[in-house]
Amino acid sequence: MIVPVKQFEARIIDNRPIAPSWRELILSWDEGAGVPTPGQFLTLRVSPYSDPLLRRPFAFSGFASTINETLRASIIYQIRGKGTHLLSELAPGGSVDAIGPLGKGFPLPEADEESILAGGGIGLGPLLYFAKALAAAGRKNVLVLGVRSASLLPSIELPAGAILCTDDGSSGFRGTPVDWISRNVSGKAHIYGCGSAPMLASLSRLAGEKSWKASLSAEQWMACGVGACMGCALPKSDGAGYMRACADGPVFDSTEINWGV
Amino acid sequence: MLANPVGLASGTFGYGSEYESLVDVDSIGALYTKAVTIENRPGNRAPRIVETPSGMLNSIGLANPGVEAFIADKLPELRKRRCAIIVNVAGSTEGEYLEVVRRIEKAAGPRTAGGTGVDGYEINVSCPNVRHGGLAFGTDPIQIERLTRSLRGETERPLIVKLTPNVADIGSIAVAAEAGGADAVSCINTLVGMVIDVDACKTSLAMGTGGLSGPAVRPVGVACCYKANRAVKIPVIGLGGISCAQDALQYLLAGARAVQVGTGTFVDPSCVSKVLAGIESWMEARGVARVEDIAARLRSV
Repeated sequence: MIVPVKQFEARIIDNRPIAPSWRELILSWDEGAGVPTPGQFLTLRVSPYSDPLLRRPFAFSGFASTINETLRASIIYQIRGKGTHLLSELAPGGSVDAIGPLGKGFPLPEADEESILAGGGIGLGPLLYFAKALAAAGRKNVLVLGVRSASLLPSIELPAGAILCTDDGSSGFRGTPVDWISRNVSGKAHIYGCGSAPMLASLSRLAGEKSWKASLSAEQWMACGVGACMGCALPKSDGAGYMRACADGPVFDSTEINWGV
Repeated sequence: MLANPVGLASGTFGYGSEYESLVDVDSIGALYTKAVTIENRPGNRAPRIVETPSGMLNSIGLANPGVEAFIADKLPELRKRRCAIIVNVAGSTEGEYLEVVRRIEKAAGPRTAGGTGVDGYEINVSCPNVRHGGLAFGTDPIQIERLTRSLRGETERPLIVKLTPNVADIGSIAVAAEAGGADAVSCINTLVGMVIDVDACKTSLAMGTGGLSGPAVRPVGVACCYKANRAVKIPVIGLGGISCAQDALQYLLAGARAVQVGTGTFVDPSCVSKVLAGIESWMEARGVARVEDIAARLRSV
């Protein structure tokens, strides 16, 4: 299904802190843009001025079509630089220029695959939406979230049975989601990952060792977000050129990309 | 040749289809395609872009599928467009530029009123992101004149030479393009820039340097247009940091006869239609009938 990409003013319903430097932004609009696939993203223009200049991409962490045709989407983000700082200052009642839904999302698992959703830090976002979509389709899944320490765990509803991992062992499993998966998953799995570049590289390696399928959401700086500028290039695994994170991804089969490290 | 003075700059709009649902391509004056080279070019190593104050650096490296794939896959779509299609051509030798134009001429057929998918060429002699060709041509008036003259022999379609601001005297480069038979010059391509990540002690772009675009370069572009326009009789097309009508009007007052929106489309795809509407209302409010009459309104201080 081709979902129309639109540019629209999204109303800001909420923009609340959920962890130190993390926020959840809830947006609403009336019509136009289609229902996003989990893994797809929006670009937001965080300031009407020229600095910072570029739109910022954010994956959907939730989406619902509510009564009277109003659409409601959420994203979670980490305040990292000027763009996300300005985003954190947008108040409910205001609006923000949005384009979406963009990119290619997560493919559904095969009937005999166990879905393991591995989120590193703020990479949790698109997996929250995907976990919900899988559950709605009657597909079991396990979400594995990794953060550095218990104090960084977000106050946000996680799917039932979610596994928490902390690097320092202050809560849940001591170690990374990759450590947890390699110790606890034995059957035929389909790994869905979103997180730092080293984490995606580890997931790709692990999936290769276990002959699992892995669908990983890549992060790269983007200018246009629609596939025109070729700025968000990621090297192909076969060395024959590049893929565009925005239009060919952001979700890739782990064997398509050279994840580095 | 142009229905209106606002175009979409090469490299920022692909071959038109990427922005299909966001920009009404038929309402614009001209679509300048992503550069076409003789061979398929995968482009430069990543990271290729980095944001800068009121701008961005890119080091894409003329990534494109090559002229044969352009003819097979892109040209049929471009033929359906109602706006003017200007094919941007790049090469690393004079022979490559000539061969690209030759093959496109053969595929597009003779110049007619429209519908061939090719209404002109923009000759990219100003890309800062490739090792050979590009900028090396664009900074040497002798090479510019020779290349333009050779290309003139290949096509009756309008030839626009895209100039670099990375020169001491853009006027002399514009004069060389005019002498070689160019129908117009466009300026500016990007300015060479570099950003260094001081935590990592690495350049932010894999290639080190890149081309600066966006509002940060606008004053440079306006000055280049002003200088180029005083040096030549052929039309000057202005670009560099245009995202609203006020920006475009600076170029038109400086002597440009048309403009291109580039990085501005990344930031706000809807801006291109606003640029056109704003130019029209400015002209109407001041009783200026034609775009080419705007420059006469520039007064000395």
